[in-house]
Amino acid sequence: MDKHGFKKILLRHETILFAVLVAEWIFFEVIGRNFGTYDNTCDILRHSCEIGLLALAMTPIILTGGIDLSVASLLGLCAILFGKFWRDAGMPIPLAVACTIGVGALAGGLNATLISWLRLPPLIVTLGTFSLFRGLAEAITRGVDTFTNFPDSFLFLGQDRWLGIPAQAPFFLAAAIFFWLLVHRTTFGRSFRAIGFSPEGARYAGIPVARRVAMVYVLAGIVSAIAAIIYTARLGQAKADAGTGYELFAITAVVLGGTSIFGGVGSIPGTLLGVAAIAVLHSGIAHALLPGEMAGMLTGVLLILALAGSTLPKMISSLRARKAALKIPPQAA
Amino acid sequence: MNKYFREFSAAAALGILLLALAIFAPSFFQPQPLLSLATREAPTLVVACGMALVIICRQIDISVGSQFAVCSVCAGLLAAMHWPLALVLATTILIGTTFGAFNGALVAGLGLPSIVVTLATMVTWREGLRWLRQGVWVDLPNGVQWFGLPQMTGQWTLVLVALAILILLALTLKHISIGRFVYAVGSDAEAARLAGIRPRMMTFGVFVFMGALTGLAAMMNTIQSPQVDPNSGTGLELKTIAAVVVGGVAISGGRGTLWGVFTGLLLLACISPALTHLHVEAFWGKAIQGATILLAVVADGVRTRKQRY
Repeated sequence: MDKHGFKKILLRHETILFAVLVAEWIFFEVIGRNFGTYDNTCDILRHSCEIGLLALAMTPIILTGGIDLSVASLLGLCAILFGKFWRDAGMPIPLAVACTIGVGALAGGLNATLISWLRLPPLIVTLGTFSLFRGLAEAITRGVDTFTNFPDSFLFLGQDRWLGIPAQAPFFLAAAIFFWLLVHRTTFGRSFRAIGFSPEGARYAGIPVARRVAMVYVLAGIVSAIAAIIYTARLGQAKADAGTGYELFAITAVVLGGTSIFGGVGSIPGTLLGVAAIAVLHSGIAHALLPGEMAGMLTGVLLILALAGSTLPKMISSLRARKAALKIPPQAA
Repeated sequence: MNKYFREFSAAAALGILLLALAIFAPSFFQPQPLLSLATREAPTLVVACGMALVIICRQIDISVGSQFAVCSVCAGLLAAMHWPLALVLATTILIGTTFGAFNGALVAGLGLPSIVVTLATMVTWREGLRWLRQGVWVDLPNGVQWFGLPQMTGQWTLVLVALAILILLALTLKHISIGRFVYAVGSDAEAARLAGIRPRMMTFGVFVFMGALTGLAAMMNTIQSPQVDPNSGTGLELKTIAAVVVGGVAISGGRGTLWGVFTGLLLLACISPALTHLHVEAFWGKAIQGATILLAVVADGVRTRKQRY
């Protein structure tokens, strides 16, 4: 497939997703109460920040053909450790934040070491750390300890507005720009795709595959730590079960955004649209007073439809190619 | 030794754990609690056997937990309507089979990646169940628990059924052609196709079989208690995948035995009761489970890395 046609398909997926998003918005605007207000838009943005951050970090990972199931567990562990650093170790908030991000980088480093140095399958490694990180969070808090009473200056980050937008939105925006630059405007991004298409081929092309792969997992660890801090600030408390199930939403958003789970194809704008589509769905269903379970169900259905939609044209074209290659003469009527 | 390194190392780890228990906490080896433990884990073993087949076929199914929950609740509702138990069993297995066929059709028919398909069905079934049932527990009528048998007999029945399935499947995988086809498709689908196996049919079949086993396991779970928990099966997918991987099945397909899976499951199942007996706080259970999975794969990684250079 030439570059132009390839770009066209990518564009088309994102255009369709954007159309779905607009349709969702109009639908809920019509049937829901107070859905399209500015306040609610801010609310949607506020609630999608953590999942959005995880999805942004997940995109380069899936681009390289990997996966990280442990991001949400790491979010829980980091939230707990942040509380520990602040309350029990008596650190000032900025120092606690720095230490938490350090822990996130270390935890991401554990994934990275096992995956890139020992060449273990990412699915299994992160399944193990999924259990390990959440288990450590439970063990540290003994399953019951909760950290609350954070200072107002910290809660501002999660609950207040700054210049009329939710205070955590600038961080999300910064992360989005960072990942967009990384994936679409640097050679790193190209190397992620190359690795996703073929790790061996990438190695022969002179790409330091192990280092690049390690990098995306460490980045995911750091971003999970940041998401943990924003999560804690939004809820005003840190518990061992923080962010349970977020990894599934993040993966769903990335795949919905047109990133191939096999690696090599995908984009950050697609991921952002995927996050938005899921967030709008959740908020809209709540505002339309429909049962909340519908949001999860529809997310699943949307995911299958998006996948089927992206493979059907490929299947048809490959069938056509096969027919052309076989040169079946047209049957006489 | 080399060929079955993973199986042996899982067995060795299990042996060490049991030895430690024998020395430091002999109270672990009482027949009644052990039987209860075995009964609790019997449905998991059945699901783990199915999961092993799916993973050997180079696919994965993370929707089993949700399928399990839906099947359990359906079984409970049918039993509460005083259907004969044999019919309830058959219907539950049929429901599971349908779920499996749905996954199989999407994966094998449309060629979609199994991890994403089953991720989607996992969320959809679980949320659908919550929506329809609103988290209500199903009360079972008298005579359903343990099939109306005395508890001891019922427990032994479940354990023996699970073991029988394990043995049958292990023999099938090793000695019967359709079992070898699963390995063939898992190690190289294209080579298998050229050898006259239909990879898509095999993949579809493995998912269908997984669904049927999940339905059976759900029934085995339902009759253990007087009520059905609508949240049963949460985390079952991770538990079974962990057991399969610790037991030495390669996630990249084409390699592994059910004996290994059995050892892996025993190891993981013994950890949390062992913690209680060794006076370690139970909160550590999940972390230790994660560490066990990592250790199992790291041991393998270090070994194969040495071989490579």
